[in-house]
Amino acid sequence: MTELRTRLAFYPAIVLVYAILLVPLVIVIATSLTVQSAPTIPTDGLTLDWYVSLFQNQRLIDAMIVSTIVASATAVVAGIVGTITAFGFVRAEVRMKETFATLMLLPLMISPVITGVAFLRFGGLLAIPRGYPQIILAHSILALPFVFLIVRSRLLTFDERLEDASMIMGANRLETTFNVTIPVIAPAMIAGMLIAFVISFGEFTATQFLVTPSTTTVPIIIFNQIQTGLSPEISALATTLVAIMIIVSVLGDRISS
Amino acid sequence: MNLGTVRLPEMPSLSMLRDRSTAKLLMAIGLGWLTIFFIVPVVVLLFESLNFGEGSLLENYSTALSGTYLRTLGRTMAYAFITTIVCLVLAYWIAYYIAFKAKRQMLMLGFVLLPLWVAIIIRYFGVSLFFLPTGPVQQTFGTDFGVLFSTTGVIVGLTSALLPFAILPIYNSLQSIDEELINASQVLGARPMSTLRTVIFPLSLSGVIASALFVYILAAGSFLAPAILGGPGDFMMANVIEQSFSYSIPLAAALSVVFTVALLILIGIFNHYANISEVLGDL
Amino acid sequence: MLEVKNLTKYYGDLLAVDDVSFRIEEGEFATLLGPSGCGKSTTLHAIAGLIDASSGSVHLRGKDVSDVAPYERNIGLVFQHSALFPHMTVEENLRYGLKMQNFDGDHDDQVQKYLEMVQMADHADHKPDELSGGQQRRISFARALVYEPDILLLDEPLTGLDRVLREDMRNEIRSIQQEVDVTTLHVTHDQSEALSMSDRVIVMNDGRKEQVGHPTELYERPETEFVAEFLGQSTKFQGELVDSPSPIVQAGSREIHVKTNGRFDPADGEEVSTYIRPEEITVYRSPQANGDVNTFTGTVRDIEYLGHRAELEIELGDGTVVTAFSQTSDELDIDDEVAVQFDPEKVICV
Repeated sequence: MTELRTRLAFYPAIVLVYAILLVPLVIVIATSLTVQSAPTIPTDGLTLDWYVSLFQNQRLIDAMIVSTIVASATAVVAGIVGTITAFGFVRAEVRMKETFATLMLLPLMISPVITGVAFLRFGGLLAIPRGYPQIILAHSILALPFVFLIVRSRLLTFDERLEDASMIMGANRLETTFNVTIPVIAPAMIAGMLIAFVISFGEFTATQFLVTPSTTTVPIIIFNQIQTGLSPEISALATTLVAIMIIVSVLGDRISS
Repeated sequence: MNLGTVRLPEMPSLSMLRDRSTAKLLMAIGLGWLTIFFIVPVVVLLFESLNFGEGSLLENYSTALSGTYLRTLGRTMAYAFITTIVCLVLAYWIAYYIAFKAKRQMLMLGFVLLPLWVAIIIRYFGVSLFFLPTGPVQQTFGTDFGVLFSTTGVIVGLTSALLPFAILPIYNSLQSIDEELINASQVLGARPMSTLRTVIFPLSLSGVIASALFVYILAAGSFLAPAILGGPGDFMMANVIEQSFSYSIPLAAALSVVFTVALLILIGIFNHYANISEVLGDL
Repeated sequence: MLEVKNLTKYYGDLLAVDDVSFRIEEGEFATLLGPSGCGKSTTLHAIAGLIDASSGSVHLRGKDVSDVAPYERNIGLVFQHSALFPHMTVEENLRYGLKMQNFDGDHDDQVQKYLEMVQMADHADHKPDELSGGQQRRISFARALVYEPDILLLDEPLTGLDRVLREDMRNEIRSIQQEVDVTTLHVTHDQSEALSMSDRVIVMNDGRKEQVGHPTELYERPETEFVAEFLGQSTKFQGELVDSPSPIVQAGSREIHVKTNGRFDPADGEEVSTYIRPEEITVYRSPQANGDVNTFTGTVRDIEYLGHRAELEIELGDGTVVTAFSQTSDELDIDDEVAVQFDPEKVICV
């Protein structure tokens, strides 16, 4: 009786929420396998033709390489800067620390369109070369709050007595950092870098201002194709992007555990 | 000997001092990085929005705060507001189920998190494929129910993209409620709905606030949802800024400033009730 | 008043409560006593309606409430860690039950009366986290009583308090319970708490009911090995009963003279456990036997001073360790040779 009432009360939510979350993904993957020339749900057979044509398209392959380079570099830059910052924030005793921490979250709060515009103008001003340097720097700013939050929350629960123990046993501060502190927080750092990779790999809004013909990323190509005309090839490209992200996250998970 | 006893107590204090200054240095590196590559560029943009040529210094602002642009600002805030409400209702509903009723909590949470690993543009693309003439809705019903290229389309897209950000903080706050408090409420005579209203909801409020904040900020700044799923009348601030950038950078800059200030005022009001870095730290 | 009939609860394959039945009379203070994991908390939660029993039933005032929701049972429950609502003031916590139960009568008066009863009237506007642990328990207690429930359940309410405070609270709880005259079921693993507060104690072990009785009865006449060993200190001798001419338990080479009464009547040759409480043992300095039965010699191995008396660990010849008390004035030392003696009447046999 109560079981039934629970079902009636929650099943609409379950169906609605998971449909909203998952149907878009399912549909992208499904339409990439259609035999028709429009992105329809395949009802009359499956084909991998769209993936074949995808990998014969040099422009798309180039874009994937660019995206991978940008995302990897972003993960490294945001990972290092984010970890350093998180360390500072957890260990330092400064007045108004919370206010400064909120400042670190600004890139999350200001629309990426503004970040893109600002970065383009500023990059021109400081003569930061267009292409990779600008894109990577902008992406690492967008990913910074996430790395910062993840590493910080791990560090907050870090038992500083481990470091004391290490130093009592004779390791100096630097040795302690490398032998104790970094290994303990490494999983959080890798998780942060992973998220930085994913954010960068899918970023469109700020990137659209910064790309050059030789550094066009995959999301830019997807957007342009959506604007110009629909072909199942976009679904195949999007699916490939999803696959790469999932592979990277699984690999990252392996490394951190 | 005397020298030794004098120096010994000094040694730890010296190294502690060095320790603390190292931490401050690290903090300064982070804030410096943020300042150079984010705050300074935004401030530069602020300067660009000012008119140093003919006419008033704030000429771009009078344009940015006029007619269509002001309406767009209002529309942006309204769309973000509607999205936030829709997301909160759905998120609370499902988070309550996962936290208190579900048998396979981790699986259900996993499927909530899964979309976060997929680029947002792909998820919007998926929503549009769903309602396009070639998609299942039109193939089945012969109509997209007016969703595509409309306000509804934008809201559906934003909800789909931002729902995970709404569910997680609410789930966390529900999860951390001591079960004994719910038992206490029941024993004291409260029916399930009263318990929800008087005990569970007030205790999960911090999660609700975090969710609302997150969804609102991300929704308001969205460029892709209106661009892919909206009609021409559904442009939001991000789209207008992008558009004006191609013909008037000062105007784009002024629009950016207006939008950011409006949003920061809202966030400031929010921050008054709940510390942002604390609530977002829960993520 | 409260009757639990054949209560059984499985968690998956795990049997937490195994066919437990007992009843409590109006106005009684009863205690469910047992080690952690014995099923006492599960039993209490089933009475409160917070978990569904696998089988069996719970009756309150003659009515079967097994299928009644907790919010319709009209019970008061004091939780282990007080479970005060952190977002409400002390007063709001008390009003909550009155409002939810639609309590007839003046809510203000009721809140005032019960806050005064637990001596917390001047803390009405405080939030729970501004109170000390002891104060929180008092409020939790008042909250459970304020709407005058049919029965008060106490789920290890003194957990986490220091010893002195526990003892104070014990007396206070008992006196309030008598003042309000509310039937009370208390759950604890602390035997001294159970023995000092209760009219009736239900000892549980391993999901089963071991024995029910008044504290003195349980202490002096335990019916199972578990009860004998769980309540109080004792020295155990185990052996075969030999009935010639008076009953003797042959524990190894040692003969323990016992008195079997009507209640306990084992057959000849049956395996019997005997227990002797430390306060029933007389310790003699001289190791010479004086001819009385149940006199054994041994060596003092450990002395723990408890102020007015000392607790001794005396090792007998075969390695059995006897726990006994001595007057501090006896001035015994470790390694002293002593004799212990006890009356056959005082030997507990199960």
